[in-house]
Amino acid sequence: MSERDPPSATLRVAAPSGEAGPCDPDELLAAYVDGVGELTTGERKIVEARLADNPAWRDDADATRALLGQLRDLPDEGAEPDWSAMERAIRDEVGPTTPRPWWRGWRWLVPIGALAMAGAVLVLVLRTPETTPSVGETNPARRDAGVPVAPSVGPDEPTTMPLWLDGSAVEVELQAADLLDDGAPSPGDEAELGLLPTDDLAWVDDLGDDDIVAAEAWLARKKT
Amino acid sequence: MVSLATNLSLQEIVLTAVDPDRELAERFQQGERGAFDQIVKRHQKGVYRIIRRYVRSDADAADVSQQVFVRAFKGLGTFRGAASVRSWLYRIGINCALSWIRDHKREQPAELDEDALSEPHASPGRIADGEQSVRLRAAIAKLPPKQKMVLELRVFDDLSFKEVSELADCTENTAKVNFHYAVKRLRELLGDEA
Repeated sequence: MSERDPPSATLRVAAPSGEAGPCDPDELLAAYVDGVGELTTGERKIVEARLADNPAWRDDADATRALLGQLRDLPDEGAEPDWSAMERAIRDEVGPTTPRPWWRGWRWLVPIGALAMAGAVLVLVLRTPETTPSVGETNPARRDAGVPVAPSVGPDEPTTMPLWLDGSAVEVELQAADLLDDGAPSPGDEAELGLLPTDDLAWVDDLGDDDIVAAEAWLARKKT
Repeated sequence: MVSLATNLSLQEIVLTAVDPDRELAERFQQGERGAFDQIVKRHQKGVYRIIRRYVRSDADAADVSQQVFVRAFKGLGTFRGAASVRSWLYRIGINCALSWIRDHKREQPAELDEDALSEPHASPGRIADGEQSVRLRAAIAKLPPKQKMVLELRVFDDLSFKEVSELADCTENTAKVNFHYAVKRLRELLGDEA
């Protein structure tokens, strides 16, 4: 059986405002008998009009009233527990302090504050303008003081350059490349000085592993 | 909008004036621990009665009732007052009872025997209730769940249809209609002698 039988009567009344659908006045008889004050004025009038006209309905109302009386007279199921013991047990279990909802406490401010602080620091770091002078620039303060300042390499400037040597890629430090240029002889003087030509680097491809190791050792010595 | 807000605040004032539970809940929310003890005193019998209908042992029903108030203690701080404190507590009670039943399915004694309708003396333990009581309880046990719930909340717990609707999760009108069909069905089950 469904929880709500199909309505049998044709006369219908509007449901109380805010509730879904009209209901059959027949369906309000038990509610009328048990709690007339909980019906709307319209519902009450319709039920009372039906009761006045229909003796069978009055019998139904009387039988309903009698049944509800019998139900209310039923003794409670089971025995009553010791209420005082239950109160004590509840008091012991919940403890003496009143819990506060999280938004009424202050503890939630700690993680929120920490997050806000971290966010602020991040924004400051990202928005700070680059102050490190780029390659070739001099420190203005030291320049004004007449102190020569070596060009520095910015954090994003590459410090090495790739070279293709003997079929494999080699990273050569830029400073080492600078050393090659320092006091570089003019073209044509290399053979006289016993140096390798710098205007045409095709000879680099012919270098063997031993030559490269020797060159790196020489560069290291030159740096120190 | 302003009138709506005014109406709501007036409604709250009226509700607070007529519902002492609401005042107790507010006092508890302001930190008065003793207000909760008064709520326990006022509603422990009702909560126990509801749970006892689901849990078929006095001791277990007492344990579950205790759990209900422990949960209520933890949640009362966030109680917003959309429903009455009583129906809120009863809702927790029903949830806890159903949860207990799920956890102890094998331990629960069987429901009332359907034969009790025709054989009222079938169960010696229930003789004390009287023949008519046994018949009535057996008939109630045969109602569809929603009708049974609505009838019991209305008749045994003396709740208004509004409170019944809050607990049965339906409209007030549906609660009235379910109540009607529950009574009608009971009369059919019991015959005109009821």
